[in-house]
Amino acid sequence: MAYGFEAKNDSGKVIINDTIENLHFIGKATRGSSDSGQSTISGYSGSNSTLDGRCIWTYTITSAGTPVAFIKPVDYARWHGIIKQSVSSTTWTFQVMVSGTSTSNPPEIYCFVNADSIAVPSGETHGMLVFKSDGSSKTFDSRRQPLAITGGASAVPPTDPTNSSGLPGTTTGHAWNYATNDHDFRSSNRYTAYSDSNINTSNTMFSCPSIAQAVYKRQMHGYKCSDFTWWKSGCQAHNSTAAWWVMYRGAYRLRAGNFDAGWTNYAGGYQFSSSYESAGWFGGSTNNYSTGSMPYTAKTINLQSNAYIVADSSRYN
Amino acid sequence: MSYGLSVFKADGSLGFSTADVTWQTVAQFTVAANATVANTYSEAAGMTVIAQRQLVNVPPNSQEDYIPNVVVSNNSQTITVSPQSGLSSSQCIIHVLAQDS
Repeated sequence: MAYGFEAKNDSGKVIINDTIENLHFIGKATRGSSDSGQSTISGYSGSNSTLDGRCIWTYTITSAGTPVAFIKPVDYARWHGIIKQSVSSTTWTFQVMVSGTSTSNPPEIYCFVNADSIAVPSGETHGMLVFKSDGSSKTFDSRRQPLAITGGASAVPPTDPTNSSGLPGTTTGHAWNYATNDHDFRSSNRYTAYSDSNINTSNTMFSCPSIAQAVYKRQMHGYKCSDFTWWKSGCQAHNSTAAWWVMYRGAYRLRAGNFDAGWTNYAGGYQFSSSYESAGWFGGSTNNYSTGSMPYTAKTINLQSNAYIVADSSRYN
Repeated sequence: MSYGLSVFKADGSLGFSTADVTWQTVAQFTVAANATVANTYSEAAGMTVIAQRQLVNVPPNSQEDYIPNVVVSNNSQTITVSPQSGLSSSQCIIHVLAQDS
């Protein structure tokens, strides 16, 4: 290096230089509205109707740069994931999904941006700045707290988001109007654990967007033949279809010594239809019921590793 | 600390030092739906590079939103973002982070 600045840490790794920007803390995002629910399959009250439930909180922060958002759980037993990020001018909006339906203990969102995008009040005149070779773009600015991490790697949730293993497919041969779900759609036991001895359940926060999505569906077809001698073929057909579906998003949980990648249900619904052939004077009948439509055909998408970073939130309080 | 660098906050507490570990940010950019982008960052040569992907304006609940693939190549200098094979991809924010290796 002929000129410039470079600092290496105790392991001999560069942590500040004049070519690559450090991330700096710009504040916690402001929490806004929340929406909670999905603790049961809507419209259905029989066996296996229970889901884990979820809360979605909306947060905003103003930043000229694109924030890297860290989730600091308050209730570390719950699963968390940023499921949506958008921007309007310089206002960034995050939707954070948390398992369970309680609106107590919402997480905090710590935001970091690149050095050159941080806004520093004019009164803060002391500190250390490092510029790139152009003499104007910053790579480091001690007036905003630089990001120090404690760990990180790549994580991916397991293929199957449901506690009942395997794809809940479609079966036939059930009795007419049979509608008893036999698949446990909860996700509490489904996760991949990544060991990290630096993770604790007091101060650790993480950054890892939710990218995996899944829709699972269980469907049952029922049938009955009413054997009437006066009926044209001797068999009046009765048909029914019951279907339960749940949509999931990838979510993460911090345990002491572990980063867990799993799932949380985002939405769900129940569909039922029943009909039988018209019998002249006796009429025909159709009965349909639906509590929502599936977002797309049952499948898992975006099941890919995503980079995660963990850090100590107490440094930024 | 008998040697190294310590940077203190305005209140006198330690803010950052050479005892710390960090990821630096090489670039952040947004890739349009179905686009393929290849960016080269010579300053990241030889470093450990990771890319965080965040879908923009997703979900919702009425469509399949596929995240694009990210490939790091050319001695960690080139980041290529492209749709998954045979699939359309949704708009996505890419954070490219680097760590001295």
